[in-house]
Amino acid sequence: MGHCLPTGAAGAGRFITRAVGAMLVALLTGCANFYVDGTTREVPAAQFKKMAEPKPVQVLFEFQTKGVVNARATDHLKAQVIDQVKASGLFASVDDKPVANGSMLSVTLNNVPLTDDAFSKGFVTGLTFGLAGSKVSDGYVCTMTYTDPKQPAPLVKQARHAIHTTLGANGAPTNATKADNVEAAVRTMTRQIVSNTLNNLSQDVSFR
Amino acid sequence: MRIMMNIKALQRIAGASLLAAAALMTGCAHQPMGAPVASTDNVQKARTASAAPMQVGNFARGPAMDAGTDTKISIRATTIFSPYKDSFALYLKETLATDLRAAGLLDPASPLKIDGFLIENKVDPAMSLGTGSLAARFVVTRAGSPVYDKELRVDATWESSFVGAVAIPAAINQYTALYRKLVGKLLDDPAFRSAVGRS
Repeated sequence: MGHCLPTGAAGAGRFITRAVGAMLVALLTGCANFYVDGTTREVPAAQFKKMAEPKPVQVLFEFQTKGVVNARATDHLKAQVIDQVKASGLFASVDDKPVANGSMLSVTLNNVPLTDDAFSKGFVTGLTFGLAGSKVSDGYVCTMTYTDPKQPAPLVKQARHAIHTTLGANGAPTNATKADNVEAAVRTMTRQIVSNTLNNLSQDVSFR
Repeated sequence: MRIMMNIKALQRIAGASLLAAAALMTGCAHQPMGAPVASTDNVQKARTASAAPMQVGNFARGPAMDAGTDTKISIRATTIFSPYKDSFALYLKETLATDLRAAGLLDPASPLKIDGFLIENKVDPAMSLGTGSLAARFVVTRAGSPVYDKELRVDATWESSFVGAVAIPAAINQYTALYRKLVGKLLDDPAFRSAVGRS
């Protein structure tokens, strides 16, 4: 493959443009395969540590792309995330409006590109993939901030996940589960990462 | 070495591929902005402002702004528009209302009313560095008497790309985020906080 690459900055630009174009065509025409990383598994709600007396909570959710709110993606996933928080059993009730006790759970799901920089920053620790060839990986960081006016400080919990995309006949990443399509991959990743973050929150002794 | 550099460059660009592809799959030549999302930061600012409940009144383009700038904005080959009567001024109104509602401070019957006039609305997804800016004049009245009148402006810069599939979604997100940033600036303004304080 290497001998096909053009030389010089302009050549590199054309190569990248064509490569990105080919990749998007592959994504659009179904030649791409999507894999949900296998490291972050779903934690069943039954394993969450429940409060003796759950309280109502206001939930705010936003999907971000590289730290910037993505309104359309938020709209796409909001109902799923809210339903999952409701089904967690950690709260007496869940609403998007203020609740009587003033408690609030902020949930952000940030999509960050995984590049070589991600390795140096330690993002990929524990996640299974290789940034090589025609594999592309998207990282996700779920951050939950629980604010209770009666507590001295908010509780902040995080979990991480990844979706890997391969093009054409490239082999599957190890320790990853193939999804039917990108929609299924994103929804599975969201369910798993939210369950892990909720579990982290529930295990904190200050969460009461 | 050059091969590795090319691959790494491709990987950087492709990092946002899933959502870029999703945007393309939605047919993004002419698309509405997503509905405003309540900002946790703005909700906290509103909650701590000791503000009285307020209504969100009339929002329109300022007199110096041409009608086209309020109804659509081009990001390379994509034109985006507000889902609220094709008016970006109304998108600003809805962004403010969304944050106030989430903070429990929206009351359509309140004597405290905020009106707004959009006076600047720009986005440029250039090849390397994207830029955007948004400005509005906010007028607050209490029982009809003016208590606040100020122009506020916010801007943003971000890493763009010569690849439209990367640059366009990034610019849309950055541009959309300017609305909550402008609302945040309003909620931060001590003069505004004083004007909307519980009397």
